Amino acid sequence: MSELPKAIANIDVNAELSLAKRRHGYSWWFNLLCLSIASLSVVVLVLLLVSIGYQGLGSIDATFLTASHDPEDPSKAGMSPAIIGSVLVCVLCALTALPVGIGSAIFLEEFKPTNRYLKLMHGFVQLNISNLAGVPSIVYGLLGLTLFVYMFQVFGKLEQNAVSGVDFWGVRRYYQLLSLDQSSTVLVPMVDSKQTTYKVTQSIAGFNGKEQPIQIQVWRRGEAKPTDPEVLSRTVRENASGGLLEIYSWYYFRLPFGSSFLAAGLTLALVILPIIVISSQEALRAVPPSLREAALGLGSTQWQTVRGVTLPAALPGVMTGAILAMGRAIGEAAPIFVVLGGNIGKRTGPEHLMDSCVTMPILIFGWAENPVESYRELAAGAIIVLLVILLLMNSVAVYLRQRMNQLSG
Amino acid sequence: MNTESKKETTVSQTDDENQSESTVVDSVDVAGRSIVAKEARTQEGKIQVATEDSGNNLGSDSCIQVAGLDAWYSDFQALNDINIEIKRNQVTSFIGPSGCGKSTLLKWINRMNDIVPGARATGVLKMGDLDVLSPNTDVVSLRRKIGIVFQKPNPFPKSIYDNVAFGPRLHFKISNSEMDELVEWSLRKAALWNEVKDRLRKSALGLSGGQQQRLCIARAIAVGPEVLLMDEPCSALDPGSTAKIEDLIYELRQQYTIVIVTHNMQQASRCSDYTMFFYQGQVVETNATKELFTRPKNKQTEDYVTGKYG
Repeated sequence: MSELPKAIANIDVNAELSLAKRRHGYSWWFNLLCLSIASLSVVVLVLLLVSIGYQGLGSIDATFLTASHDPEDPSKAGMSPAIIGSVLVCVLCALTALPVGIGSAIFLEEFKPTNRYLKLMHGFVQLNISNLAGVPSIVYGLLGLTLFVYMFQVFGKLEQNAVSGVDFWGVRRYYQLLSLDQSSTVLVPMVDSKQTTYKVTQSIAGFNGKEQPIQIQVWRRGEAKPTDPEVLSRTVRENASGGLLEIYSWYYFRLPFGSSFLAAGLTLALVILPIIVISSQEALRAVPPSLREAALGLGSTQWQTVRGVTLPAALPGVMTGAILAMGRAIGEAAPIFVVLGGNIGKRTGPEHLMDSCVTMPILIFGWAENPVESYRELAAGAIIVLLVILLLMNSVAVYLRQRMNQLSG
Repeated sequence: MNTESKKETTVSQTDDENQSESTVVDSVDVAGRSIVAKEARTQEGKIQVATEDSGNNLGSDSCIQVAGLDAWYSDFQALNDINIEIKRNQVTSFIGPSGCGKSTLLKWINRMNDIVPGARATGVLKMGDLDVLSPNTDVVSLRRKIGIVFQKPNPFPKSIYDNVAFGPRLHFKISNSEMDELVEWSLRKAALWNEVKDRLRKSALGLSGGQQQRLCIARAIAVGPEVLLMDEPCSALDPGSTAKIEDLIYELRQQYTIVIVTHNMQQASRCSDYTMFFYQGQVVETNATKELFTRPKNKQTEDYVTGKYG
């Protein structure tokens, strides 16, 4: 121990200094490399934003935000139905996915079962959640198609102009006939759902075009036509036949869902469910066990601990995960395509629960592939609007997080 | 290493200075009932049989009885045949080197070990008529009666008011004004009221370490327990805060039975009435604090309290 080994007994100071210089040099180059790579990603992002902005900013005006798609005149086309559709689909998706996802995460993290079979189920669910997070979203689209749109055809196939599926509430069916004054319609309530047309043979109680009850008169050939315009508007020719008309209230509910925004929202909920479960689990895991012990030591049950201590403490992390998931959901095109189709011509947002809708990614795609150049510029504008909405959502989330952090100290 | 099924201490001091007053003969039978017979040798050497402890003990009823308790963590036996009795309205301290089982025993008193996977105990642990270890016992109401304060202060990330009100909200249905009164009372009793009375709605995490620990004590007493368990409550605090909390413990014993686990022997001698020395899962010696530290009967105890090993 008293003799130093040769390597450190006589240290050549000059050699050590020059080696140190070289080491510093390598380190400097390495820092430069890291900086360049980071700058590269920033540059790419900036380029993306600038090019989109350049192409698209010119398209954004009041018409753009309030009108609906016009297949003939790009200057009159707008994206209002798409904005409404996207927001509604997202809200539905959040309402479905968040409770289920956060509840699953609480079950997986807090209630670790000791019973053998529950333990197996717990392990099974945990394993599969991780796998499901990586599944491509178009697979969920196909799943949504079978599960929500068609519902395995258990309730029958949906047909046009015929009564199909199982209605619950919210729809009124009539036979629609043109009245004698050629400009109004009368409606005869449907009694037999198998009958798709109706022939008027005698005077019958019915409704006018605004669903107000009237008495329908019949005009037979040879009679004199009524002169009173009010009577004329509710007279039909003998043996006139009318086809099926369905009037929906906003709460119309039917199985199977068909290509409805309800089906689209539920499908998206499936897409983001694994992400929400995983991020919520991480947030719950991050709560220090000392807090749980403190709550249990005061005599709280497991549920009271979760509700009063663990979940509030984990809420910022849970919310971050939820917002990230919503951001992904609002931009998903593939599953929406499968469930709703690519028709961008709808003039309004969904009018009832079973109504179809257009979402922003679908609209962007529809415009981007349009051979007319002007529509492609509109697509760039739509992208900007989508990004702005995304930014707004994230800002709301950040604000809520700040508020919660302040409240809890 | 004596196991405590029968303990006899007789001190015969005829010295004027050291007049021993509390000579106690206790025995605890297997069912946990305590047969307490005390003899007091006064200065003149007379023997008196009293039904209450003389001296500065305020009440001598037995609060918690432990008989034949064994405890395991999976296959490791942490406690071996513990037979002790915790007296009401006294501060009892558990001392001993690391890993001797004192925290384990403390946590079994209010079943906190339930959350440790693989922890189990056999034997008898009773609080009066209440069988603590029975699976039929409602742990939730047990823990209301037996509160616990942990080593590291762990206030909830809520306001000071909500921290103290958390326990009462679980167990009681009371009005807002009653809750205000309860919170103020608890904070006063924990000697924290004057420091926080104008920031009750601010976050508890903004308090200093000593204040947070006093907040945890306030939180524990807000549910009206009979027993307070403290697992090394001052080990994470500076000497100033430690002194404040030791004073607090001394005051609280008038109303609560307090069991405190400590590594710090000076702390044990400062604030406890009764001390139990643990070693490797067994109780080696129990005695009034003054006695244990000045006249330990067991060699091991003597080595420990004089610092020969820690």
